[in-house]
Amino acid sequence: MQADNFVIPSEPAQPAAPRLSIAELQAQSGLYSLLARCLEAEVDTGLLQVLRGPLRDTLDDLGLDLGRDVMDGPEEDVLAALAEEFSALFVVPGAVMPYRSVFETGRLFQPQADRATAAYREAGFVFRNVHSGEFPDHVAVMLAFVGQLLLRQAEATAADDSDAAELWHQRRVRFLRSQIGPWVVGWSRRAQGCARHQFYRAILELVEYAVWTDICRIADEKTLKRLVVANQKPLIRPKSDPEFRKASGL
Amino acid sequence: MGIHEKLRTNRRGFLKLGASASAVGAALTSSRLVAMEQKLGGADFSPVTGEQRKAVPYTCMACNIEDGGIAMVENGRIVKLEGNIDHPNTRGKLCAKGNSGFLHVYDPDRIMTPLVRTGARGEGKWKRISYDEATTLLAEKLRAVIERSRAEDKPGILNEIVVKWGRNRTGGGVKRFMNALGSNAMVNHTNICESSKKVGLEPSWGPDIESCDWANTKYILNFGSNILEAAYFMNPNSQRLVDGVVGNRAKIITFDPRLSNTAGYSHEWFAPYPGTDAAVALAMAHVIMTEGLHDADFVRDWTNVTEQQLIAHLQPYTPEYAEEESGVPAADIRRIAREFATTKPATTFSYRGPCKHLWGAYQEAAIHMLNVITGNVEKKGGYCLPRGMGWPQPEPVPPAGPVPSVIAKPPLYPLASHAVSTNVPYMVMRGEAKVSVWMSYYDNPVYTYPSSHVWDKFLRDESLVPYLVSFSCYMSETTELADLIIPDTTYLERHDPESMPSGLYPCLSIRQPVIEPLGGTQEFRQTMIDVIQKVDPDGSLGIRKYFEFDSVEDWMKQHFDGIPGLKEEGGWEYMKKTGVWPIYGKVDMNDGKLVDDNGVEIEAAYGLHASEIPAASMLDAEIGEDGTIRKDGEAIGVRIRGRNYVGFGTPSRKIELYKESFRTYGFNPLPVYKRLASRDKKPNELVMSTYKVNVHTQSRTASLKYLAELYHKNPAWINTERAKSMGIADGDLIRITSPLGYMVTRAHLTEGLHPEVVSVSTACGHAAYGRLATLKQRDPDAEWALGGDPDITNNVWWDDRGVHPNPIIQLSVDPIGGSQGWYDTVVTVSPAQQGDKYGDTDVSFEQSMKDYEETLRYAYVGDLHRANHQEVDVDWDNLPEPQLGGH
Repeated sequence: MQADNFVIPSEPAQPAAPRLSIAELQAQSGLYSLLARCLEAEVDTGLLQVLRGPLRDTLDDLGLDLGRDVMDGPEEDVLAALAEEFSALFVVPGAVMPYRSVFETGRLFQPQADRATAAYREAGFVFRNVHSGEFPDHVAVMLAFVGQLLLRQAEATAADDSDAAELWHQRRVRFLRSQIGPWVVGWSRRAQGCARHQFYRAILELVEYAVWTDICRIADEKTLKRLVVANQKPLIRPKSDPEFRKASGL
Repeated sequence: MGIHEKLRTNRRGFLKLGASASAVGAALTSSRLVAMEQKLGGADFSPVTGEQRKAVPYTCMACNIEDGGIAMVENGRIVKLEGNIDHPNTRGKLCAKGNSGFLHVYDPDRIMTPLVRTGARGEGKWKRISYDEATTLLAEKLRAVIERSRAEDKPGILNEIVVKWGRNRTGGGVKRFMNALGSNAMVNHTNICESSKKVGLEPSWGPDIESCDWANTKYILNFGSNILEAAYFMNPNSQRLVDGVVGNRAKIITFDPRLSNTAGYSHEWFAPYPGTDAAVALAMAHVIMTEGLHDADFVRDWTNVTEQQLIAHLQPYTPEYAEEESGVPAADIRRIAREFATTKPATTFSYRGPCKHLWGAYQEAAIHMLNVITGNVEKKGGYCLPRGMGWPQPEPVPPAGPVPSVIAKPPLYPLASHAVSTNVPYMVMRGEAKVSVWMSYYDNPVYTYPSSHVWDKFLRDESLVPYLVSFSCYMSETTELADLIIPDTTYLERHDPESMPSGLYPCLSIRQPVIEPLGGTQEFRQTMIDVIQKVDPDGSLGIRKYFEFDSVEDWMKQHFDGIPGLKEEGGWEYMKKTGVWPIYGKVDMNDGKLVDDNGVEIEAAYGLHASEIPAASMLDAEIGEDGTIRKDGEAIGVRIRGRNYVGFGTPSRKIELYKESFRTYGFNPLPVYKRLASRDKKPNELVMSTYKVNVHTQSRTASLKYLAELYHKNPAWINTERAKSMGIADGDLIRITSPLGYMVTRAHLTEGLHPEVVSVSTACGHAAYGRLATLKQRDPDAEWALGGDPDITNNVWWDDRGVHPNPIIQLSVDPIGGSQGWYDTVVTVSPAQQGDKYGDTDVSFEQSMKDYEETLRYAYVGDLHRANHQEVDVDWDNLPEPQLGGH
């Protein structure tokens, strides 16, 4: 089963996921960390300056439109508008809750959160919430974790510690397949549909692209098909029968 | 023919064998295979890991019955809620609402972090902040009011700090908070609930409710209560009612314009015209008294009236008169009156039906009187006083604020001991009170109040309500309007002391976090501590000392660690383990009775009023001419035929069927029936009523998936023949029009409703309260779109969230008890007009303001009050002046 808008590569995936160079690992780590930061909390002055400064040309080259106000508007207004949108999109009731538990069960803090915690712990990390109402299966925390795994692999590779590099590599592959793959792409699409600010539409589109591309590199066709199904969360409209007149019936 | 072939050709016989075996029952099964929960004494195990789940006792708060519960916790997550078998009144059972309560905790639409408004009020634009920032913001606002009060030397300014609650189960916590701040502006919700029932009872015998001994009774007269599904103490009362009707063969007769499931369960159902219960009850009293069926000894010894007074008073209330008013046949009234008086023991029960009318307190008093004149008070199987227990408040206890609050104790309603919260926005809009900070706790008046649009307009107006804070953990219609939200936890993550008189066995219970508050959220009790400590960081305002708690648990210990009896068993630590105290015994699994280790029933205590005062307590006591025993100026009992009894909680310590306090303000001191304006409606009009359903509270449960699936739409009930005469068929789109405006809904035709009534349930038609209540999410592409939740994806099969009736219901206040007259609005019902859409509502704010002026005319200084009470012997030209703080 393949959804129309999920593209599975025609070439079968490598039996073993390809090894990346140190530069590639570092670059990917940077990308995941950027995406994580954008989704974890409201944009602040520091992040805005990074987007407007060191990343401006790269973003332009990619053709990634974060919104004219974000790149050039009055800082105070931009930060306020983005904070408002962040709350509406990810925090307040009615939002697209950025938790795997909600995506898969409709409830906060289900065993998906425990599984994320276990993966962090196994790799030497712990989750610590900054605001109340934050859980380990937050999409940004998961993306940040991938970024950390990539960074550790890059460091091990640079140190010629192939065993350690392999260990970090395997952890990342396992986490991408089992904990990112089943939901992040589908959730990103859902969130894009709800976002009302270009900044978040663009970032979420980037998340979708980056994660799916990455997963396609490490998963075989059978796994990809399974993940496609897991990510498909079609918009459900209730079946309404205009002829149904009996008000008292269920 | 082999056995296989025989069975194939005689399948019916095969099934019959199974059915017969099934009928034989347990005798044929294995004695070694036992249901886990029985074998293991209530222990619960994960079906996946096999590990035992942690069982944590708590007190439910899905509604206000406060049942005993046990939360089953696995890996720090609530997986199941059950009843606490040690709770003597709820005995191991929860209702559907209680069982679903854990869904509150994990609701994705729960507010998990404080939010500060960034757009216009009500625009829905928010920024998240920390609890520390939020409590600092609130403390600054409160401190500013206190400083202004001191600078101007006007203590009344402190009453500009207002708290309005819907469900306050903090065990004195909110009162402590407000009194520490020096404000008396505490506004409850009771007048939209049962306040006139309370005021119908309190002056008569002390407490505000009855506790029927359902299980041991033989005869029940139920006035306007859906006991099995929705009334106060629903879970314990419904258990005991079934015990009585099935186990004790009691007869139950229900008077209710609507065929509720309790009415359907009754032996007889009568549908009186709305608001005529008192006529029926007084006619029964008339029959009982004039035919000499009353308990003469009880009336003589324990009431403040004579038989002759009563007979004279009841003289006009003949069964024929009652039939004319109510439609209940006189012959049935006579028959039932005789049955009630001669079947022992017997009891009445009533709830919102009779009391939610103009003069609802009279109706309650009339029903109550039936028990008194038949001597069923405090008898086994009779009509008993409620049993509860108290707990001490931690010292020092803050005194009340220095100035009475006009909105908390409205001077025009001196008898309404539970206040008149419906009037508050009107009073503020008319300049009778000023608000600086309005705090909303467990409350949603923009949805739950009559003419709810008035609350919406009021709370949106920043000139009237400059700062609005909500402590809700759900984005209700009211919380949407807040400037600051400091979310509370759910009731499964907080601490409270409890004692609900939900049965005949008094007990204390607790609420405690069954899990750590989810995601670092903070319970309201901690928020109160933080706010007070920030208002008065160095103690210089003299406020901080009332909130010097090391922790919330420290606060709880101070409630429980000093209670005699409990203290010896371990106080708070004991309560944490059991959830309830005392534990009376075990529940007999066969009949549900409380039994001791030998299987002998532990009987409740009866005759509380007839407890004799110990001789030591009589030292220095004085006995008045009427027998009232006083000590240090306070009535402590009554002497009757040479014996000293504690009596009832009234000035005379007897049941005061004659209420002097009523007469003082021109109300009839004895129970009377007053014909309502709705009784004189035009033939083409109907009386509108509302009702609760078994799986919902008024407002808070629409977001719970299990319950929303069970009940989510509320078509208007109309009597079948009446609807046909109006050209309305079942399911038709209709307009219900009141003087305020109209609502468009669908019709449900039924024989189970009085032909002059249209009835719409509460709990539906939310404009807020999360995705399941509103069937909306932020997603712009779909009206209803939820990915992920397999249950919702597969099972949200409905697209109808119902229509909210409150906007078209008129404000109408009982001038005695203060209750809102929910069932007094007169409407017309017609087929929908061209262009009408399901759910359309259009109402007039201006008309609501006129309704307020009109209802004030019934208050004790109003012209309509006097016009309707000419029979009262009082100096009408010299009634007491309205006085702030009461007389």
